[in-house]
Amino acid sequence: MSTTATAHHPAHAQPRGGHLTGTAPLLRTSLRHDGRLLAPWIAIATLLSASSVLVYPWVFPTQQSREGLAAAVGSNPALGLIFGPAYDLSTADGFNAWRALALGGFLSALGAIFAVIRATRAQEDSGQAELLASGVLGRGSRLLTGAAMALIGSLVLGVVAALVTVLCGGGWEATLLLGATFTATGWMFTGVAAVTAQLGADARTASSMAVGTLGVLFVLRGFAYSVDAPGWTSWVNPLSWMTETRPASGNTWWPLSLAVVLTLVLLAVAFTLQARRDFGQGTITPGPGPARGKDTTAWRLAVRLNRGPLVTWALASLMLGVVFGYLATSITDIFGADPAVQQILAAGATSPDELTSAFVVTILSLVGIIAAVPGVQIMLKVRSEETVDRVEPILATAVSRTRYYARHVLLALGASSLYVLVAGAVIGWLAGTADIGVGVGDVLRQAVATVPAVWTVVAVSVAVVGARPAVALVAWVGVLVSFLLTLLGPTFGLDDWVLGISPFWHVPDVSAADVDLTGLGWISLVTVGFLLVGFVGFRRRDLAR
Amino acid sequence: MSGSDPVIEVVGLTKSYGRFPALRGLDLQVERGQVHGFLGPNGAGKSTTIRVLLGLLKADGGTVRMLGQDPWSDVVALHRRLAYVPGDVSLWPGMTGGEAIDLLGSMRGGLDETRRTDLVERFELDPTKRGRQYSKGNRQKVAIVAALASDVELLILDEPTSGLDPLMEAVFQEVISEAGQRGATVLLSSHIMAEVETLADRLSIIREGRIVQTGTLKELRGDVRTTVRAVLERAPAIDELSSLHDVHLDGDRLTATVESTRIGEAMTLLTGYGLVSLTVEPPSLESLFLRLYEDEQASAPTGTTTSGETGTAP
Repeated sequence: MSTTATAHHPAHAQPRGGHLTGTAPLLRTSLRHDGRLLAPWIAIATLLSASSVLVYPWVFPTQQSREGLAAAVGSNPALGLIFGPAYDLSTADGFNAWRALALGGFLSALGAIFAVIRATRAQEDSGQAELLASGVLGRGSRLLTGAAMALIGSLVLGVVAALVTVLCGGGWEATLLLGATFTATGWMFTGVAAVTAQLGADARTASSMAVGTLGVLFVLRGFAYSVDAPGWTSWVNPLSWMTETRPASGNTWWPLSLAVVLTLVLLAVAFTLQARRDFGQGTITPGPGPARGKDTTAWRLAVRLNRGPLVTWALASLMLGVVFGYLATSITDIFGADPAVQQILAAGATSPDELTSAFVVTILSLVGIIAAVPGVQIMLKVRSEETVDRVEPILATAVSRTRYYARHVLLALGASSLYVLVAGAVIGWLAGTADIGVGVGDVLRQAVATVPAVWTVVAVSVAVVGARPAVALVAWVGVLVSFLLTLLGPTFGLDDWVLGISPFWHVPDVSAADVDLTGLGWISLVTVGFLLVGFVGFRRRDLAR
Repeated sequence: MSGSDPVIEVVGLTKSYGRFPALRGLDLQVERGQVHGFLGPNGAGKSTTIRVLLGLLKADGGTVRMLGQDPWSDVVALHRRLAYVPGDVSLWPGMTGGEAIDLLGSMRGGLDETRRTDLVERFELDPTKRGRQYSKGNRQKVAIVAALASDVELLILDEPTSGLDPLMEAVFQEVISEAGQRGATVLLSSHIMAEVETLADRLSIIREGRIVQTGTLKELRGDVRTTVRAVLERAPAIDELSSLHDVHLDGDRLTATVESTRIGEAMTLLTGYGLVSLTVEPPSLESLFLRLYEDEQASAPTGTTTSGETGTAP
């Protein structure tokens, strides 16, 4: 970032036209106009971290309740997949490190990726960059501006999250280190996004590649810690470096320097690639396509528009199935290794079978929440197509609004269900190969029971895009609420009626003796309500312009 | 033109975006077989009108009938019989032009294969390029081919030639006249006066959400005067030229206007001074348009002139 200073030159001197000329004014303007887009990421990460230290003494006041928490976390490896290992849950800082490190870094990385892509690729797509490039602006200035925005944003995120958490009662060193891991994760993915912005030929490809990288590394980290993978696996995954800092249980600072080095290397690669490519082109250039078209119906158009993500998500759900399935096969070992779990079992509070089926329910809820993401994306695609005027020519043909919308809704619900079932089948198949008392049929049945909850989450986005498209981001509310309540809700000690807001809370354990399906009936009614709102809204409203 | 078979019939149409009134009681009538020019400055409400006609926007008030049907409720039946070219074509980035033509064509209910081939050839369109690779003009061509390859009764064209080069502009004019000969009705919104002048049978001029003038080009020209430019052997005195208007004399060079009915009289007058060169220009649509707007602007007391193309979105 220090290079931005070189862009300043005395007003009377002739500008030399350097590689980075014009970065400073561009960065100032960008920060003023797009800086506020970083605010939500900063707010959510801060909330996540600060809330941990606030609620901890209140929800877990006694030593006994803290041990109970440790046992609960240890007995559900599905939690470890998301949060990583719990090193020390007996202090507020340790609890915060476990609960916020992985997710806070994830949020910081997402914010950084979107900031970089927005300032580079998305501008090239919209033609805004062409205007800028024709001005007095060096070749590398736009990329540097995008990267600087993300670097500054990540830094602010880390600092704000740490300071607010300290004010709420967090310990200085552990909290600062935790904030530093947020910043470092944001920086590394600034580098990743800067590279993918040079590889993909449009914003969507570039951000999908960067977010995909983040997702894969995130899942691999959780997996590696959950199955106690060999130590070297921690050092090949940059996200694991953050976990290895162990805030509140060791406070190791040096892994952060690895992150800084990686960031610099990635940025160097990005600038090299950028200098070599043509404006508006990617490293991968498309060849000529077919002169005639086969996609001639609203349904095939919907599939075509979402083809790339549909394939990517199919692969992702297979991978998710493998990861979770593999985890399931080793569940009895994991329980056996955990003294807290052994205590619970010895006290006769629960049986190994019950623990296993609770684990299967949690894991499939998690799969369901993840599988709802592509569904929401498909619905938001309807909106983004609308805002770039590509729905207008379609609706000017003999395709009715209802039909156009229905095809997308069908695809969104269908794809999400398919992904749950695919992941469920793989998990079931892997679980069936191990002797843990769970067969393919059990897991598949549980997956089927999860599908209605997924529909409810997707239906929220159907309603939003149909009736209130101006606030399209609200379409994510279903995913967000389900995620927070299903995974974080129990650590807050929330009441049942609050947890019940998440549709996944109503998914019954189908391996139980008598399965109660009324919950699913209720959430399906809600689903139908959301769908109706969406369809009526889309039929009645003006199309965007 | 019988005058009793309207394809588009709009009466008292109103539409607001939030508190901004885009259309304030618009009346528009297009007869079968007409090529109807739809003129107006940016922000006058042309695109809003067209989007109401297509059922993309819901009218706040007034009645709209197209081909005897309601554009909001009879969408599917109506859209089988019409085709649309937007002024700013946005194509799917990964889809080729050829695929986009076939998609739009078959969604409308099929397209005429021979005409499709013919149009692709005449517009020199490479249908194997992808949406993101096309220039603005080429995107426009894709939309034009897609619309004209279907056999429809009504063509709605919203500034269809923006971005086309003059050669392609000529091809476009040819193709639209052919569509007219086939009996298609055309609503042509445009900024290019020469295009409208060549193609349109009738014109409607919109301003601030209302039609301010409508008629044939000849009717609209009405009392607008012909421009005369001449180089003379002897310079006349100003007061000898009382039958001419707007006289400008620069030595032996004369520029003036004259009523269309008195051109002969003016010629006789000027011949007396010894003509070296002479051009007589009938009133162009452009001058008509400018004159109309200058007049309106001069008489418009409030400062509510123009804003964005269709105003602010709600």
